Amino acid sequence: MLAVLSSRPLHAQSNASVRGVVDLQGQAVDPFHRSPGKVVVLVFVRTDCPISNRYAPTIQEISRRYKGRAEFYLVYPVKSETAEEIRKHLKEYGYQLTVLRDPDYALVKRAETQVTPEAAVFSADGKLLYHGRINDWYAEFGKSRRAPTTQELVDAVSAAIAGKPLTVASVPAVGCFLPDRP
Amino acid sequence: MKARHAAIAVPAIFSVMLACLADQGQTSTTRTRTPAERTNGEVTFTRDIAPIVFHYCSPCHRPGEAAPFPLLNYEDTARFARQIAYVTEKRIMPPWLPAPGELKFQGEMRLTDEQITLFKRWGEAGAPRGNPADLPPAPVFAQGWQLGKPDLILQARKPYLLPAGGTDNYWNFIFPTQLSGTHWVKAVEIRPGEKRVVHHANVLIDRLHSSRRQEKQPGAGFAGMELRIESETFDPDSHLFFWKPGSIPHEEPPGMALRLNPGDDFVLNTHLQPSGKPEQIEPSIGLYFTKQPATKFPMLLELQNDRALNIPPGAKDFVVTDEFTITADVDLLAIYPHAHYLGKELRATATKPDGTALTLILIPHWDLNWQAVFYYEQPIFLPSGTKVAMRYVYDNSAANIANPFHPPQRVVGGNRTTDEMAHLWLQVLPRGTAEEQETARRNLQEAVARHDIARDLGDFAQQYNLGAMLQARGDLGEALEHYRAAVSVRPHDAIANNALGGALLAVGEASAALGPLRAAVKAQPDYFPAHYNLGNALASLEQFREAAEEFRKAVRLRPDDSMAQANLGGALAESGELEEAQRHLERAIQLDPRNNVAQENLAEVKRLRAGGPKP
Repeated sequence: MLAVLSSRPLHAQSNASVRGVVDLQGQAVDPFHRSPGKVVVLVFVRTDCPISNRYAPTIQEISRRYKGRAEFYLVYPVKSETAEEIRKHLKEYGYQLTVLRDPDYALVKRAETQVTPEAAVFSADGKLLYHGRINDWYAEFGKSRRAPTTQELVDAVSAAIAGKPLTVASVPAVGCFLPDRP
Repeated sequence: MKARHAAIAVPAIFSVMLACLADQGQTSTTRTRTPAERTNGEVTFTRDIAPIVFHYCSPCHRPGEAAPFPLLNYEDTARFARQIAYVTEKRIMPPWLPAPGELKFQGEMRLTDEQITLFKRWGEAGAPRGNPADLPPAPVFAQGWQLGKPDLILQARKPYLLPAGGTDNYWNFIFPTQLSGTHWVKAVEIRPGEKRVVHHANVLIDRLHSSRRQEKQPGAGFAGMELRIESETFDPDSHLFFWKPGSIPHEEPPGMALRLNPGDDFVLNTHLQPSGKPEQIEPSIGLYFTKQPATKFPMLLELQNDRALNIPPGAKDFVVTDEFTITADVDLLAIYPHAHYLGKELRATATKPDGTALTLILIPHWDLNWQAVFYYEQPIFLPSGTKVAMRYVYDNSAANIANPFHPPQRVVGGNRTTDEMAHLWLQVLPRGTAEEQETARRNLQEAVARHDIARDLGDFAQQYNLGAMLQARGDLGEALEHYRAAVSVRPHDAIANNALGGALLAVGEASAALGPLRAAVKAQPDYFPAHYNLGNALASLEQFREAAEEFRKAVRLRPDDSMAQANLGGALAESGELEEAQRHLERAIQLDPRNNVAQENLAEVKRLRAGGPKP
């Protein structure tokens, strides 16, 4: 055991940055140390945001596309949402992703998240490569395109997996403001 | 013996295109400046923010309503303080399209600049609660049906399953009514089903069941953004029954109820936006009756210029106009501007005969998602001779987020979501006595039809409508011209061909009538009037066996139609089939004892069967 632990690569960020991050059973989870060598993608959502809800099929589809090549997590940062509400939400929207709760905004801060839905892509060594919108489907509250014309998240994940430099580091997302930070 | 022919049945078509109606149901309140506005003191929820939230936000932001989260108290509001400041400053919320102008609408949902500043200052101050004693009473909302228990509730026969993702959907539900006797409807409340995905919905009446032809199976419903309803008479068809988030149903004033005949259908047109999960949409509509029959008949004047919609890709300011001079004194009650996704700025104006100009509505930033019917606070008097005009600007560039094409493509007028529309409906109530109002309505209908035809000879519906109007007032010669024009636009249209054949028959040109009537029965073999008229035309030409065949088909379609039975009996009698003739004539009299044609023919048949000489 000790040998295994000590063989893990050293990460730029320490465990302290994921304080309070738990799964739906309330067990502490550190997404940056669960799958060594893999790109980590966090997608922030909430149960009551119509924009992030509309994105559910897209989020599910993108995560499926990278199965085995990148670790996707669905992150619920709103403290007042209970594990039960989240389970119901997952079922209704057909989500199959690994779920994290981030009530202390540890991941929100690390991913520099402002709204839901918003995505963040980290390199295998925990460096934030991209954060922001999934694509340009929404241009403003209530103003969506018939279909998106850009794919920032897909571009970022593909580049991160290939080890290529990213052309865009951040594009602001349109979505529901996170409740003021605790 | 000569079989007598009954009056010719010529149903008229009246085409109405209405879609996606919606309106606000709130009443506006006048307000005074709050203490915080006056003093620049601290902005608090209880004193400054709550009155605005309760009036403008809570009607939709509450459980069971369309908005995604509640805004009913301090906690609800404080957690969204920053977002509320953002969406109000950008005037995204509350949704209200018209710019402020000299004419006031019912239920205006427009915040003042001062109110917007209050939200901003409150958010910046960290959303303080304030003194609990300042808090106004929480708003009280009716649960369930907003107008109380309806007199009749109609349920969708089959739910529509909205997929989790994809583009906007437009789905139509047909609600048959099974009432005996005429009823008067003063209000229709629409419960659209899952309100969070229904953007808006509107109801039209379909007296001819013309929408049923669009269903693959009875009760299945059908797709489509715009409805085209055929109607038999010059029904005013002027009642706007709509639903949009937060709206309270519009109740027609006394004397303006909608006539509901036995068997009429209601058709509900819904605009649905996928939510991310599959949704079952199962709407219902509630009808509220009144004993008071209609004495006032508002009508819809429609300005439109879809033909001018041929918008090149990239065009940012493509202008379409139309104008129409009103031929009677009317009161303008409501206005409904309609465009699709390229609409940018929609404007309607009125210029009175004395030169006074009025902006009827100006929508500086059109958004299909928040379209509505707008009722004026007070009716606007428009004297005869007033010119009403619409001027719509379209943006077919990539900068238009709502553009259905990427990259932009040429867009033309049409009913699909990727087509564009340029329509403006004005609900007007003619002034004067009942008789004057009736005359005014007919004049206006005719003026609108002539106006549309002048612009577009290929306007099928108006060519047809004008033909029917002229026929109704006995001007068969001119009616024929317009029916011919309608048939030349749509050579296979059963209703237009039948009308042309019927009118030819009425002017004694039975042989000329055969062609159009045969085209009508071919186009729509279950169309009773065409078989009936074709039977009459053949009988006029003394082709009694063929006539009997057509009447037989008519009788099969409507076994309880006394005139069809009588004419079948007459044609059979002429063909020498006396026994069968007698059966149908007796049936005709059984159905309608006052059917003189049947009685005379029956007497003649009985005389012949008793061995009497042929006349």
